[in-house]
Amino acid sequence: MNTAVSQQSEAEVLLELDGIGISFGGLRAVDDLSFKVRRGEIVGLIGPNGAGKTTVFNMITGVYRPTDGHIRWHGRDITGLAPHRVAEAGIRRTFQTIRLFQDMTVLENVIAGQHLRMRQSWWQGLLNTPAQRREERELIERAMTVLQQLDLADVAHEIATSLPYGAQRRVEMARTLVAEPELIILDEPAAGLNEQESAGLNETIRAIRDAGITVILVEHDMSVVMNVTDNIVVINFGKKIAEGKPAEIRSNPLVIEAYLGQDDDEDDPLMNAVQDQVNV
Amino acid sequence: MDKHMNQASPATSSGSTRALRLVGPALWILGLLIPQLLSPAWITIGGIFAIYSIVALSQDIVLGRAGMYDMGHAVYFGIGAYTSAILSLYFNWPILWTIPVAIVLAAALGAILSAPIVKLRGDYLLVVTIGFNAIFVLAMQNNLFGMTGGADGLFGISGPTLFGHMFGTQSDLFYMNWVVLAVVLWLMGNLDRSSLGRTFRYIKHDELAATTLGVNARNYKVAAFALSAGLAGLAGTLFAMQLSAVSPGSFRFTDSVVLFAIVLVGGQASVPGVLLGTAMMFVVPQIFTEFAQYRYLAFGVAMILVMILRPQGIWPARKGVI
Repeated sequence: MNTAVSQQSEAEVLLELDGIGISFGGLRAVDDLSFKVRRGEIVGLIGPNGAGKTTVFNMITGVYRPTDGHIRWHGRDITGLAPHRVAEAGIRRTFQTIRLFQDMTVLENVIAGQHLRMRQSWWQGLLNTPAQRREERELIERAMTVLQQLDLADVAHEIATSLPYGAQRRVEMARTLVAEPELIILDEPAAGLNEQESAGLNETIRAIRDAGITVILVEHDMSVVMNVTDNIVVINFGKKIAEGKPAEIRSNPLVIEAYLGQDDDEDDPLMNAVQDQVNV
Repeated sequence: MDKHMNQASPATSSGSTRALRLVGPALWILGLLIPQLLSPAWITIGGIFAIYSIVALSQDIVLGRAGMYDMGHAVYFGIGAYTSAILSLYFNWPILWTIPVAIVLAAALGAILSAPIVKLRGDYLLVVTIGFNAIFVLAMQNNLFGMTGGADGLFGISGPTLFGHMFGTQSDLFYMNWVVLAVVLWLMGNLDRSSLGRTFRYIKHDELAATTLGVNARNYKVAAFALSAGLAGLAGTLFAMQLSAVSPGSFRFTDSVVLFAIVLVGGQASVPGVLLGTAMMFVVPQIFTEFAQYRYLAFGVAMILVMILRPQGIWPARKGVI
């Protein structure tokens, strides 16, 4: 683990956010945000509710176009590219609110992740040619391999949205992983999971990294964030307030203030979680 | 009257669905007996049922599969019919040769008309496509290029000649339409099991999720329109042969509404559902010919009841293909 961390500082910069910002009407949702993600890292993006974390993800994946700044991928400017172009570049994401294709099986959902690998042309599909059938078998095979890894093989033919919440999260993850992306962006993967499931999530995220995929993670569950990330970026009101290793973030006064400043909000589970971490 | 249902091969391997898989082809073969067993009126009805089934199935590509509210689908049906009529009457083309032109022209028009509008949200797209239909009917009525024959349309289109045999009688045309319907049903089954068909459904269910997986949603939506229009164009040629005439009255906005309703009432993205819907609209009224003028009343009531009691359609699409 320690050697991995020390190697990262020299690793190639995969993604660079350079002063990005976006306004919605008069509201400055994200302002002058910069950070780098190096190959092989697990980067956590945290911050109080409404800090702009999901907005950052939406800008990286092309759902929103930043009003300022640049996003670079392998040094190439990808600011404002359409979502499908960002996907072509090798960046995949999951959603805070799970977005599976309803009325379709787990297998069909995961095959969707292989869209860019598809070689069959429209007429081959319509005529059901041998080449098309062969490709369909390969798509299913590859999807099944990923489903096996995520312990979903036995529900492959179930309707995806009929599965329990935790399984749906894993299906969404399988759909991104089957594409073998370079970078995967996980938007609150632990939301709605029980303790056992979120412990399993830690393993899954590490396994993803060990497979050579870089990870950015937005997460409220501090047990996940503090345990799996190599680097954490903290934002509040759309601005970066801290960046560093989990241990540094834990003791950073600005972070503690951002989370703990809201003294009157003692029921906030997030605050309590941070407090627990601080007290360790 | 059999129901002419055809099941798009179910993937689940339970015994009942495997049995259903045989029901479709069995009904189709049974349908081949219509000219032997039934009166000439029914032969015509059977032929027209096949044609309208193809149009309704093509409407279902855009509406039921790709999820776009196309309320002007009669335009592409009409383009196919007029293309064949004009080429055969003015340029003396054998009618069979006009089929590829009708398909390609309708598909091209579908692509050109849809390209600027597929970004529109459902209800806005619906209004635009109504506009397309209004313009099309007006253009045909006003004798576009001096070739569409105005409000009366064009007549005297002859049936095809194949291997020296002239397809002139109603039963000849019936067999031809019935065979083309089988080919279209085969294509629809393949579509649902192909990447193209799946991608349409991905876009329908969650366009944002699909695009973050690399789907160029705009291109696929235009492709859905083009494919669907091409199929409607093919049906248009069959229609011109069947009636040996085309006129603007067959391709009005109300005809588009009926196609739209057939898909919703029958079951979106469901091949048997759409065939059932078509049968309800075009075959059932013939059984009660003396009440024919009430068919829209009956269909209206059926629409209301189905949408309230069974919003997914009479025969909903099977969830999950693989």
